[in-house]
Amino acid sequence: MDKTKRAFVGGLLAAAMTAGIAAPSIAQQRIEIQFWHAMSGVLGERVDEIVKRYNDSQTKFTVVATNKGNYDEVINGTIAAYRAKKAPHITQIYERGFMTMLLSDAIVPVQDLLTEKKKPIDWGDFIKPVASYYQYKGKLMSMPFNSSAPILWYNKEHFEKAGFKEPGPTWQELDKQLYAIKSKGISECGSSLAGDFFWSLIENYSTVNDQPFGTKANGYVGLDTVFVYNKTKVVEQTKRLKKWIDDGIMQIAGQGLSPEQLYTSGKCSTFFASTAAHGSVERNANIKWSATYLPWEEGTQPRNSSIGGATLWVMKGHKAEEYDGVADFLAFVASPDLQVWWSKVTGYVPITNKAYEAAKKEGYYTANPTREIAILQLNRGTPTANSQGFHFGNYTQSTFALRQELESVWANKKSPQEALDDAVRRGNEILRQFEKLHAGKY
Amino acid sequence: MQASTSVTAELPAAAPRADRRRRAAAGGTAGLKRAHYTNSRLPFLLLLPQLLVLLLFFFIPAVRALVQAFVITDPFGTTVHFVWFDNFRALLASPEYRSSVWVTLWFTLAQSVLTLSVAAVLAFATDRVIRGRGLYRSIVLLPYAIAPVIAGILWAFMFNAHVGPLTYVLKALGVAWDPTRNGFDAFLLVTFAAAWKHICYDYIFLVAALLAVPASLLEAAAVDGAGPGLRFFKIALPMIGPTVFFLLVMNFVYGFFETFAIIDAVTKGGPGGATMILVYKVYQDGFVHIDLGSSAAQSVLLMIFAVILTMLQFRYVERNVNYDV
Repeated sequence: MDKTKRAFVGGLLAAAMTAGIAAPSIAQQRIEIQFWHAMSGVLGERVDEIVKRYNDSQTKFTVVATNKGNYDEVINGTIAAYRAKKAPHITQIYERGFMTMLLSDAIVPVQDLLTEKKKPIDWGDFIKPVASYYQYKGKLMSMPFNSSAPILWYNKEHFEKAGFKEPGPTWQELDKQLYAIKSKGISECGSSLAGDFFWSLIENYSTVNDQPFGTKANGYVGLDTVFVYNKTKVVEQTKRLKKWIDDGIMQIAGQGLSPEQLYTSGKCSTFFASTAAHGSVERNANIKWSATYLPWEEGTQPRNSSIGGATLWVMKGHKAEEYDGVADFLAFVASPDLQVWWSKVTGYVPITNKAYEAAKKEGYYTANPTREIAILQLNRGTPTANSQGFHFGNYTQSTFALRQELESVWANKKSPQEALDDAVRRGNEILRQFEKLHAGKY
Repeated sequence: MQASTSVTAELPAAAPRADRRRRAAAGGTAGLKRAHYTNSRLPFLLLLPQLLVLLLFFFIPAVRALVQAFVITDPFGTTVHFVWFDNFRALLASPEYRSSVWVTLWFTLAQSVLTLSVAAVLAFATDRVIRGRGLYRSIVLLPYAIAPVIAGILWAFMFNAHVGPLTYVLKALGVAWDPTRNGFDAFLLVTFAAAWKHICYDYIFLVAALLAVPASLLEAAAVDGAGPGLRFFKIALPMIGPTVFFLLVMNFVYGFFETFAIIDAVTKGGPGGATMILVYKVYQDGFVHIDLGSSAAQSVLLMIFAVILTMLQFRYVERNVNYDV
């Protein structure tokens, strides 16, 4: 028995050793840069294309891109890897993870790194709400990569049949139109509720209508921020959505069916969703589709909308020469040429004004006018304290609480005011815990 | 997840315990058995692999969860504060957590009773199916071969409020079915999906147990004029008591821990927390929201709940179970 056991252990050791030797020998000349991302399917192929282009463009570094699942899985994978001291060099983290990453003590601020490595980046050229979301004390902490904004998708035919040229610019007008479309029997469903409605219909509602979401400039100037959206126009917005759902104007797709399908199949007349849906809408829609800006409240001056998406974070703990490659690759990602291409093939917005101008010059937006909506919406006016973005700690958790409470509203279990009060209470507990943990660090 | 290992590991204990009683009843056979083990190292060696598995996959994670439950920490582990019982206090004060406890209890209970009763009927009927018994059995057993996630997606789709074929049937019958808005509908949906997936498990055990019931007893009862229902409740059921008890414990464990995939595929704990069972909440808070302290405290509490429930079952239900048939 002992002998077989020894042989077994010996075999294991041998296997481990050969594996250990084999791995580094592959890339002896080129320095390897690990890049973890959450882009699957077609988007994943596009990321692979970026990496291939970069690797072919120079001989010093090899970027290895790995899809680690969805956003949740990537941030968790990164955390686990960091704790095991095997973190990737670059990792793609969603916007809601900003504060977690910023105060993690595990990252290298991107602007510092690229400045140190003397990469010629025009830091003032990023689209404002993109930059402001990811800035801390005036510096970009991570490299903007895939940014989007919600827009209003609509079915042209439905609106035309009801005698409207296009959706009205305000919520009040849109409300009348959707009820008219339904009562005329043109479509039984005015709008399909997107899975990320808390983003398109609550958060972005607040930024466009210049409503505060939390105190301390939405968390930008202090960890002692508290949520206040239960005292703003969000209450009216929730009541409106609830009414729409009750009247069958707005429908919830439910598990097993994608909300986008309800729109692209022609069942629902509108859909509030990301501009990044361009890729799939163009491919799947059987309808005459178009898009326009998110509506705003009658009598208000509309502001910029906020962004969604993810950025590339640089992790601590690697060798200096590897950071040369990291900086080089990130500069490549931010270059206007690549951004123009990326935005065209994915539907995400170009992250710099240079890239936007370049695409415009080509006549790209004349040919594809709906592609320009998101960027015009983001560039509308100067961002205010309410519209620059959201810097709340553990933001995924409080977003989830908000979403859960709103579901209770749809289910008639709570009134809009009660639910928003509860969401704020739960959210504030999460903020206090974050404050306690990171006291004095922000 | 960790706690599930513990409970499953404890379960076989039901059998040795029965053995002990039987042996005690037979009188002094234990002494004879001991004499066969002259080498005192052998039993430990034989136990070693299982202990090692337990150590790696249960004891070490359990201890880590216990430690984690008393701290709040930055996910990256760079900042850690010891907070005593704050995580537990926050949980017990939270209406969402309390509601999750109730959802779990109701869900597990409903699912267990439903599973067991349907499986019992199907198993008892097996004997009465003459033609195509093999086919009948295969069909009943089929759901066990389907992965829980796939089962969940199937159910979610069949009962989808917009496109589900069975939703049309329900609506035609005048039922305002909408699991995406109505929490109770969603609760029913996951309960049925979970039961459907688990019926076959109970069925196999019950069929085997029923085979051991002497046919002569059933026939004698039939001659005396007892119908199938009476035969089942008065004769078969008492005789398969130990199996039913074992299945009850297993169903609880299943409801507590293994229905995760179904919840994830059918409702994701929604709408408004109506199907947020404890184990799904542990996952949500720990994995999706990276609130490790709270998540660890929740798994500790979950482990305690599972142990208490299993103990209660052994204390009160097992009393009425007779192993000596």
